[in-house]
Formats: sequence, C-alpha cells, structure tokens
Amino acid sequence: MEFLNNFVTQTMVYTTVYTLVALGIVIAGRTGIFNVSGEGVMLAAASSGFITAYLTGNWFLGFLVGALMGAAFGLMLAFIHETFKVNQFILGISLVILGGGLSDLIYKIVIGVRLSAPEAPPTPVVRIPVISNIPIISGFFNQDVIVYFMYAATIVAYWFFYKTKIGLETRAIGENPKAADVVGVNVVGRRYLATIIGSALIGVAGAYLPIAITGTYSPDISAGRGFMAIGIAIFASWKPQRAILGGFLFAAIEVISYQLQLISGNIPYQFFLMLPFVSVLIIMMIFRKQVEFPASVGKPYSRE
Amino acid sequence: MAEKKDKKVLGPFLRNISVYLIAILLAFAVFSVLVALMGFDIFRALRTLTTTSFKSAFGFQETIKKTIPLIFTTYAFTIPFMIKFFNIGGWGQMLMGGTVATVVGLSLAPLNLPAVVLVPLLLISGILAGGLFALIAGYLKAKYDINPIISTIMLNFVAALFVNFIATAPRFKDPLEGHPITIPLPKSATLPFIGGIPSSIIFAILAIIFVYILIKKTRLGYEITAVGYNLFAAQTYGINFAKTIMVTFLIGGSLAGLGGALEIMTIHGKLIEGFAKTSGAQYGIFGILTSLIVAGDPIGVPIAAFLMSVLLVGADALQRTMQIPVELVFLSQALIVLFIVVIRKKFSVRR
Repeated sequence: MEFLNNFVTQTMVYTTVYTLVALGIVIAGRTGIFNVSGEGVMLAAASSGFITAYLTGNWFLGFLVGALMGAAFGLMLAFIHETFKVNQFILGISLVILGGGLSDLIYKIVIGVRLSAPEAPPTPVVRIPVISNIPIISGFFNQDVIVYFMYAATIVAYWFFYKTKIGLETRAIGENPKAADVVGVNVVGRRYLATIIGSALIGVAGAYLPIAITGTYSPDISAGRGFMAIGIAIFASWKPQRAILGGFLFAAIEVISYQLQLISGNIPYQFFLMLPFVSVLIIMMIFRKQVEFPASVGKPYSRE
Repeated sequence: MAEKKDKKVLGPFLRNISVYLIAILLAFAVFSVLVALMGFDIFRALRTLTTTSFKSAFGFQETIKKTIPLIFTTYAFTIPFMIKFFNIGGWGQMLMGGTVATVVGLSLAPLNLPAVVLVPLLLISGILAGGLFALIAGYLKAKYDINPIISTIMLNFVAALFVNFIATAPRFKDPLEGHPITIPLPKSATLPFIGGIPSSIIFAILAIIFVYILIKKTRLGYEITAVGYNLFAAQTYGINFAKTIMVTFLIGGSLAGLGGALEIMTIHGKLIEGFAKTSGAQYGIFGILTSLIVAGDPIGVPIAAFLMSVLLVGADALQRTMQIPVELVFLSQALIVLFIVVIRKKFSVRR
C-alpha cells in the first residue's frame, strides 16, 4: 500500500510536466498551429524560471518568469509563422535549438559555475483535508500547487473548448480556418492567443522541473519530454481531457522504468531507461487508428 | 515591370547571396549587442569568431576535424528533408554507427586481421547500423504514420543509452577509466591523420560525390526530387511514396552511421560516451542548422558545413580566450537560420 501511495504521488508529479506541455500543444493545435518547439521552450523556461526563483527566493516568481519566457517563444512562433508563412516544423525545430542554447547561456551568465548546486525555494504543498487521508487517492490530493494548477488548466481547457461558444469557434479554426474566417472569427488573432497561452503552459512545465522536481537546474533537464508530449497530444487526438490521461500513462511508464532500473538484476539497466522512449513509439503504433487530427493543423492560412 | 527586369538581371545567385549576407549580418549584429551587454570587446570577439580557423595550422585542422562529421549529419537531415520529412535523429544514427563499428572491431581483435579487411568491415557495419536505425523511423512513418520528428528523437535517446551500455559492458569497458570508455580498437582498425588532417576526409569527399551522383544522375534521385516537388504528380507517375520515405531515411542514416564509424576510427580510436559532440553540443543539432541554411539543397552542404565549423572553432576560442560561453555562438547560429528562412520566404512571396 505504501508502495502504491508513493507510486501515485511520484507519477502525478511527472504527469504534471507531461500534461502541461501536451495541453500547450493541444491548445495551439486547435487553431491549426502545430507547435513542436516544446523541448526548447521548456529548457529556456527551466533556466530562467529557476534563476528567478533562486535569486528572489520566491517560487511563484520563478513559475511566472517561466510562463513569460514560454509566452515569448509562443509570440515568436506565431509572429514568424503568421507574418512570413514559414513552415511550422522548421520554425519549431529552430526554436528548439534556440531555446536549448539560450537556457545554458543565461544560466552560465547569471549563475556561472558553483561548487555546490544552487537550490530553489520549495514549492508549497497543499493537502486537501479528508480525501488526502484515503490511501492511493491521497497521491492525487497531497501535492504541490502546480499539480493543482495542472488539474485546473485541464478542466478549464476542456470547459472552454467543449462548453463555450468561443471555444467551439476556436475549434472550428483548426478544422477549417477559411469557414471560420467567413463567419467572422478572427483567425490570426486566435492563433496568436492560443500559441502564446499554450507556450506559457509549456513554460510552467519547464520551470517545474528544476524548481519542484530536481531542486536545481542542469543542462538538458527536459530530457526529451517536450517531444514525448507531442506524442501525447497526438495520442489524445488534441483533446484536453485525453491529454491528462496520456500524461498519466507516460509518467507512469517513466516512474516504473526508474523503479525497474534499481532492481534490474541481470538485465542491463540501460534497457529499462529506454522503456519510456520505446513506449512512446509503441503507444503511437497501437492507437494510430483512433487518432483524429484537426484538419488544418500544421498548415499556414492566408486569405486568398 | 521594371522590378521584374531587375530580378532577372540580378539572377538567382545574387539573390541567394544577398539572403545569406543579410541574415548573417543580422545575426552578427545580435551577437555583437549581446557581447557588448556582457561587457566584452565586440571587435575582438568578432575577429576571434571568424578568423581563428585561418590564423594557424592548428585552427584549420580543427575546422576540418569538425567539418567531416558535420557533413555526414547534415546529409542525414538533408536527404529525408528533400521529401519534407524531418530526421532529427542524425545524432543517434551517428552514435549507432560508431558503437556498432567499435563492437565489431573489438570482437574481431583477437583474430589479428589486416587493415585491408578490418577497416572496410568496420565502415560497412557503421553504415548498416546507422542506416537500419534510421529505417525504423522511416518504416514507422510509412506504415504507421508516426511523425519522424518524434520517432527520431526517441531513437536518439535509445542510441545514447546503447552507447552507455556498450561503453560500460564488462567485455568492452576499459577498467582503468572512470568514465564509460571502451578499450582501444586494434591499430589495424583505425585510420591515420595525414599532415594533421584526419584521413576520414577522403570518405567525406566520397560521400559528397555519392550524394551528387545519387541526386542528379540516378533514377532514385529523380524520384526523390519528384516526390519532394509534387507528391501527387509523383504518385500519379507511379512512384511508391512509402518506399521513397524508407529509402531516404535509409540513405540519410547510412551516411550518419558512416560518419560515426569514421569519428571513432580516426579521432578517438575507442568508443567514448559523449562522442559525436562538438563544443559540448550534438553534431546532429548542427547538421540540422546547416541543412536549413542551405534550404535542404544537398549540393550546398559541404560549403555550409565548413563555414559552420569555422564558427564552432571560433566559439571554442571565444570561450577559451575571452570566457564568452559557446552557447552565445549556438544562439547566433540558430538566429542565422531563423533570419534565413524568414528572408528567403519574403523573397519567394514577392516573386
């Protein structure tokens, strides 16, 4: 029981990372922007967010700066794509590389080399009374505030896209931007907004890694999760409520692979560490038939 | 009308050159501003960045040493990119090539085979390892419609763990080393330096010729170009799209694998965890940047790879002599690419 409790608690921490990034990708994707820059955004936000939290001693400012850094990347992506119609994938990959360079650069400039790793202030933990006493369930409700933020973001995104008129209109952009434009939806404006908000969420996830999970920044801290989240967004058919399921699944695989590695015995531990990466591909193979893409995702739109 | 005439006089060459010049100037401008903000001497930084390669024999040799693997990872990205697919896995394919070549070399060491047998054997195993590893991504795209951006990145991580596995395996690990490093390859499995230049340059030149002939002179190259240019027309003409995807990944990965094997056989002489990197970053990343700079045109690859290496050698020198982090140069390289794709798009929109 104790083991299961720990497993759920740990899995929810990683679920938060995966889900926030996948949500960011889903939100932009709903307006037709395929944002593959997640890995770079996470890194840039991880470094800038961590530095802020460390220097100010304030965890909230750290996440805020991470989100703003993400938003800046989202703005860049939306601006370059909408203005010059540059291919979204070329743009996304360039931003991944830009973010990777930027993250280590600012860390080296501001923090430099230290003998002992600088530590971020702790992110506050909130225990929901009563339910957090129930075994297993407690793993979901005895967590830091960003985990609850992830729950809220998922619920709001679901409510917005499926229960509001503006949300329905926004989904229409992803399916058929021309038709949405004809009925008076501001296609370009919504694309900007969705990409910026989505990237801000990715930024929060990036900042979460050093501030709440490891406690300190290290190069390549995102470890491919920004790309795995693209897999989750696709697996989720670009639906927020499925993104959190996908996030949980991938997080569980990651946590299990760490556990197995410790008790690996005769099998080389590297093969257990390969598990999350291989699982992404296997899951995508299994679910490819069920996956639905917004019809216009990845394609530029211009009124011609 | 007048504008049209101007463009004709200017010609595509000058137009391309101006795209590059503007992009590079803009990126250097950003670089200079950042250098100034950090409190360093701009002119000294720019001079170090651009001239270190040409000031000494050592600088030039270093540049060539970086150019060779970079040509291979650039082709690894470029060839699938000709049909608009993204092979982000050049680095992983290079790792697999180098690792499998090492395993073959070390396993055959007790037989004392001569270099004439051993060298080609290692090169072929590198080619096969890189090619088949990339083929996984091509197959997943062709049969399961899995975006190669995701699959190739996932395979990069698998490859990095595989390197660690081999470099720490009791059979291969050098017991005197703390870091994961294998025992050295037999001398007859390595390639020499000639006048400070790694002899692997011969294979880089062969690869350049191979790609040129493949693209310009063969039916397969024609099919790849056709699919990239107009998929629908190419399919109508009877070109098998799924096969083309797999072939481009196979070729791209084979070249990266060859590059990896050469890197081990020439530069290191053994498998080292963290090889296939330069200035602390993966050759795969620089291959992507280089390829995007030449817009995925295989013919421009060698020159662009050389110029990228000049900047990388300059970046190392900046860090060594002025304590300017190498990441500042990586950032500027990414900016060059962003500026180039934007400006190029602007030109083509107007046309």
